[in-house]
Amino acid sequence: MGYFAESFAELHADGAWIDMGMYIGSGSSMPGWYTVIASVMLVAILVKGNNDEQDHYK
Amino acid sequence: MEDQILALTAELAAVKSAAQVTNTMFAEAYYYLTIPLMVIIHAGFLLYEMGQTRVKNVLSSGIKNLLAFAFTIITFYLFGWWFYWALPTFPVTSLVAGAGYMEISGLAYASAIALPWGDSAQYMGPNMADHASGVFWGAFALFAATTASIASGALIERIQTVGFVICAIVLGSFAWVVAAAWGWHADGWLVTEFGFHDFGAAGLVHAVAGFFALGILVNLGPRVGKFNADGSANKISGHNLPLTVTGLMLIIVGFFGFLMACIILPGEGWSWYSDAGTTIYGTPMTLSALAFNVCLAASGGIIGAWVFTKDPFWMMSGCLAGIISVASGLDVYFGSHVIIISIVAGMILKPCADWVEGLGIDDAVGAVTVHGTIGLFGVVVLGVFGSGIPGLGAYAPEGTVAISLFGQIVGAVVMFLLGFVPGYIVSWLVNKAGMLRIPDDVQIRGLDAVKVPAQAYPESMVSTESDSK
Repeated sequence: MGYFAESFAELHADGAWIDMGMYIGSGSSMPGWYTVIASVMLVAILVKGNNDEQDHYK
Repeated sequence: MEDQILALTAELAAVKSAAQVTNTMFAEAYYYLTIPLMVIIHAGFLLYEMGQTRVKNVLSSGIKNLLAFAFTIITFYLFGWWFYWALPTFPVTSLVAGAGYMEISGLAYASAIALPWGDSAQYMGPNMADHASGVFWGAFALFAATTASIASGALIERIQTVGFVICAIVLGSFAWVVAAAWGWHADGWLVTEFGFHDFGAAGLVHAVAGFFALGILVNLGPRVGKFNADGSANKISGHNLPLTVTGLMLIIVGFFGFLMACIILPGEGWSWYSDAGTTIYGTPMTLSALAFNVCLAASGGIIGAWVFTKDPFWMMSGCLAGIISVASGLDVYFGSHVIIISIVAGMILKPCADWVEGLGIDDAVGAVTVHGTIGLFGVVVLGVFGSGIPGLGAYAPEGTVAISLFGQIVGAVVMFLLGFVPGYIVSWLVNKAGMLRIPDDVQIRGLDAVKVPAQAYPESMVSTESDSK
């Protein structure tokens, strides 16, 4: 959790930005976990959406 | 003297660096701005689809369209983008990186830049050194959403919402992506082996989406009351033709952004040249060429459709058809040539739609014809007139296959299959799960009254008695 740098100066060397992801969780396994959670949420939402829809048709 | 040379050299380097920054920022802004322009396509499809719907189903149609947009974009982020970079050479050669001569395809390459986890996640989010991935992804995501919107209109008033969303995900984040990998990528085997050329995606977006819709329609069946017992068809009018026609015009506005995004700008890491824009194949292309040809094609299509129909719905559909008919070769057609092809496309539109309806297919907005049939027409027509044009840019290896009628026909067949077969299979599975067709009694009552907690119009505005059939 959290941001990986304490200062942006350390990410800007020799007049250019370092080529790396600059977001919360960069360099860790967190982006992958966010992706897993988002995917599970989507599937769950589709399942719930379908259940609600089928109830309407009864 | 030596100090002056050193100072001038440093100054030149600074100027070049500043120029490169300007070029990069311009390129990033250029592609970024194509994204909201393409969102206008979806505003257009939303109006178009809701206008073609009867009052009792208006909001339900809108919900379906909005969800297709949302789910397609998210799933394109999760896996669609990866398919585009992974599959260009499959199955002709192999999936290993570097199988194509551009060396920007294959499993390893795709996994290095296009997965939202692991090391490649650095190119799927904020990164100050990467001004390309996000805007390219955004443009492609909107292409993906466009395919779902194209199919959406054909299916209105009887397809279940979640069942449709599943179909839209397969179309927008897989079927058309495979077509794009094969025919809209410099390493794509349709391009390298057959010289397939489809600058503006007549085949790989429009035809794939149109025939995907046909595959669904076969399993879905017609709306209640569309066909009589003797097989003759009834006309089911939408509730607001002005809304539909305005929506179609907005789609045309968005097309300018869509086609603008098909140009590769110069001077960047992904560019073919440092001094000129190109198509995705590295062949010559300018925005000026687009301006000539898109405006003329839109006009030609309207006029062609007017000849036989005199109907504003078909005239604006003709406008779309005119652009789609020349989209494959917008980079190589002369303006007057565009006028001829687009007028013909507008003229054949309604007869083609009538033929589809004669087969017992209830395509509520003519999407199979406008996008599917005319898309393939455009792909093949380029083969007729464009045979011999080099298929790839100046830096392509010797022996690169040129555009040919045979190659365009092969591409057209592949696009038809990539649309129809997945559309038929996924809708068959969804149907088996009981998630495809809305029960007939619900169709008769009206979908909004059954499943939408909102009302489109004042209580006094309801479907006519005949609409309740």
